[in-house]
Amino acid sequence: MLEIKNLQVAYGPLLALHGVDMIVRPGEMVALVGPNGAGKSTLLKTISGLLRPRAGAIRWQDETIDTAPPQRIVERGIALVPEGRRLFAAMTVRENLELGAFTERAQQKKRAQMERIFALFPRLFERQQQTAGLLSGGEQQMLALSRALMSLPRLLLLDEPSLGLAPKIVESIFAVLIELHRDGMGVLIVEQNVHAVLELVQRAYILEGGRIVGEGEGRYLLDDDHVRAAYLGPLARGTS
Amino acid sequence: MKSLVGGILIIAVFASLPLITTRNDLLNLGVQIFLAVVLAQSWNLLGGYAGQINLGHAAFFGIGALVTRTLWVSGTPLILALFPGALVAMLFGLIIGVPAFRLRGAYFAIGTLGLAEILRITVGNLLPQISTIPATELASYNILPRYYLTLGMAILCVALVALLIPSRIGLGIRAVREDEAAAEATGVSALRHKLLALALSTALAGLAGGAFAYYHVSYYPQHPFTPAWTFDAVLISYIGGVGTVHGPVLGALFYVILRELLAVKLVEFHLIIFGILFMFVVLFLPGGLIEAWRRIRRMIARST
Amino acid sequence: MILAQQLILGLLVGGLYGLAAAGLSLTFGVLRVLNVAHGELLMLGGYGTFWLFTLWKIDPFVSLVGVAPAMFLLGLLLYWALFQFVVKAHEETRIKNSLLIGFGLTLVLHALAIRFWTADERAVTTAYAGAVLRLGGLAVPWLRLTSLLFAFAILTALHLFLAKARWGRAIRATAEDWEAAALMGIPVGKAYLLAFALGTALAGIAGGLVSVSYAISPSIGLEWTLKALVVIVLAGLGSLFGSFAGGIILGLAEATSVVFLGGPYREVVGLILFLIVLVVRPQGLFGSRV
Repeated sequence: MLEIKNLQVAYGPLLALHGVDMIVRPGEMVALVGPNGAGKSTLLKTISGLLRPRAGAIRWQDETIDTAPPQRIVERGIALVPEGRRLFAAMTVRENLELGAFTERAQQKKRAQMERIFALFPRLFERQQQTAGLLSGGEQQMLALSRALMSLPRLLLLDEPSLGLAPKIVESIFAVLIELHRDGMGVLIVEQNVHAVLELVQRAYILEGGRIVGEGEGRYLLDDDHVRAAYLGPLARGTS
Repeated sequence: MKSLVGGILIIAVFASLPLITTRNDLLNLGVQIFLAVVLAQSWNLLGGYAGQINLGHAAFFGIGALVTRTLWVSGTPLILALFPGALVAMLFGLIIGVPAFRLRGAYFAIGTLGLAEILRITVGNLLPQISTIPATELASYNILPRYYLTLGMAILCVALVALLIPSRIGLGIRAVREDEAAAEATGVSALRHKLLALALSTALAGLAGGAFAYYHVSYYPQHPFTPAWTFDAVLISYIGGVGTVHGPVLGALFYVILRELLAVKLVEFHLIIFGILFMFVVLFLPGGLIEAWRRIRRMIARST
Repeated sequence: MILAQQLILGLLVGGLYGLAAAGLSLTFGVLRVLNVAHGELLMLGGYGTFWLFTLWKIDPFVSLVGVAPAMFLLGLLLYWALFQFVVKAHEETRIKNSLLIGFGLTLVLHALAIRFWTADERAVTTAYAGAVLRLGGLAVPWLRLTSLLFAFAILTALHLFLAKARWGRAIRATAEDWEAAALMGIPVGKAYLLAFALGTALAGIAGGLVSVSYAISPSIGLEWTLKALVVIVLAGLGSLFGSFAGGIILGLAEATSVVFLGGPYREVVGLILFLIVLVVRPQGLFGSRV
């Protein structure tokens, strides 16, 4: 279980998160929605260890991880699929996947996990020797997701996975997420594409200006006036 | 105000030194200190205030020495010989700076490093013989004009930096060091300010080189181009307190005097000590002696 | 014929330039740290080989088996003592601080070398030093040829390590995007440490090969740092074999200049070429990144 209590994160003197509380229970699929600049990426980066909080605590499986370095957090089973994918563009698809399995734990199950991923994404299998930078947007997102899966995470964090992708591709990626979730993986997904993601998840949080302003079950949030007004009007089409 | 009074006091002390003593070794030490001040302060202007690391400062020192020596030894009065030295040094500085400043910081550093070596090797090849002051001058060699010339240069150099830094141009220079992109965004031309700092820095180094040419009786023409002079400039600036006006002055005093004391023992020892001290300062005490002094004062103030 | 002979010699020394540059390219590419003391490290490797030969008659190529690990350890020490603090800053400051620290390190190592071993030139003269391979009218010194092949072999081995090994890939990933690498579970600090130590070991090996065919002294440090920098500017970053080719180009350029301008200007030509490339094409002839 992931527990976040009163998390404060600052960039220099500027506070980006003003005391965030959040829970992701084992095997839950949770969404984090909110406008641009709300602090969603900041939150995911802090959980992954790329940023250090100024105050507050993050607990994962009864271990405090708010000051842990990124590699320890990956070892403990949390993997981030970062915004913009951050693939190793100069390396091949296969090399990217191999790198995803860097930790000791992942190294042991590397072969099996890679087969599993190729089964989920046959396109990656076909293109495994191709340089990652030359893949299409959708393929890159598949690769980014797969790379994170290679570390055998128990909680998957996704930062805007649908950004810049055609709806069909987004559908297929979300389908994979549902399958992973069914197998017991926890998922925390940050999305602009509120519509699609709220149908998907069990619970969702709304983050605005660095504060949690709403929480509820996915489908019901769709009916919530606040959310409707802010995100589901004709202007909110899931693009930034 | 306090530092101005202190400065005047120090100047008075040094200016009256020759009246108190006739010991040549002390006066020579004085010349070395003053040269070190100019060398370091000129480097500090570009490296400390403008943030551009010059690893070939010796090139400009050497050019000044070469031009001045050539002119002076062949009969040109010293005053007329000094300024061409500074000018040519500045020219070379701009030749490197104009292309290199368009790229990122490392290119200027390694470009100047390369330039200094090119000049050292070329001068060493073209002028391999030792350069000695002609006999007529040698007979009438007097340390005093050298002493006061270098003292004057040191005062000029420090005053120049002290007046430039708080000015609008100085502000622009410092803005460029902090964040070039931000400076550009507020209308400060990064390139122009860097080049200005560069021009002044190299001209002053050339001037120091000219003084060196006037002071040293005989030396190999490539000697002022050796990296040792760059090391001196950089180490003094950082140990004293880079990016401050007093830092290079304090550093020069500390460095030259300590070097004299240590040179009694093994020759290279002082370099090792200063080198390690320098690296320590860069990593852990970027303000150098000035910062160390401020911290001590604060600790004393707190405990009383 | 003179030109052809000089070109052969230039080619042979060029391989060592490439090897020297490769080590610096590795540390700069991965850590974004420009260690201008790289040449001093090369010099230390050369002295290591020299003393092992002079004191215990160990063949210089054999002694590399000892010199390389020793230099690797020195690299670990230098990273731990100095460069780990430099990498804490972000890129602009990092480069600037690494220049300063490298500069200070150059001073200290140079002074230590003079202190312990004097400024005299040294050379390793083995029994087989004079052996020459005759090709047509040209003389190819066996020793230098062997050094060239050795350098190439080392670079190939390093290339394979970076391409296939878990930690080799980790280093490449860290060089490309250290945050993404961290998200893979790669301990970035350890990747930096490894890359720096490897770069130092490469410098040491190059130094050992230099001591065999050419003279060494404490002052070769700056000379070789500049050679490495010239090659990096010529060849760009990102490719070990690019560095090797760049080294050879430099060697050939120098050889040509020797024929037309005479020996004393050999160094100058390389440096002037460097300044020209710096101005005209800073990303180098084959390089991908500045």
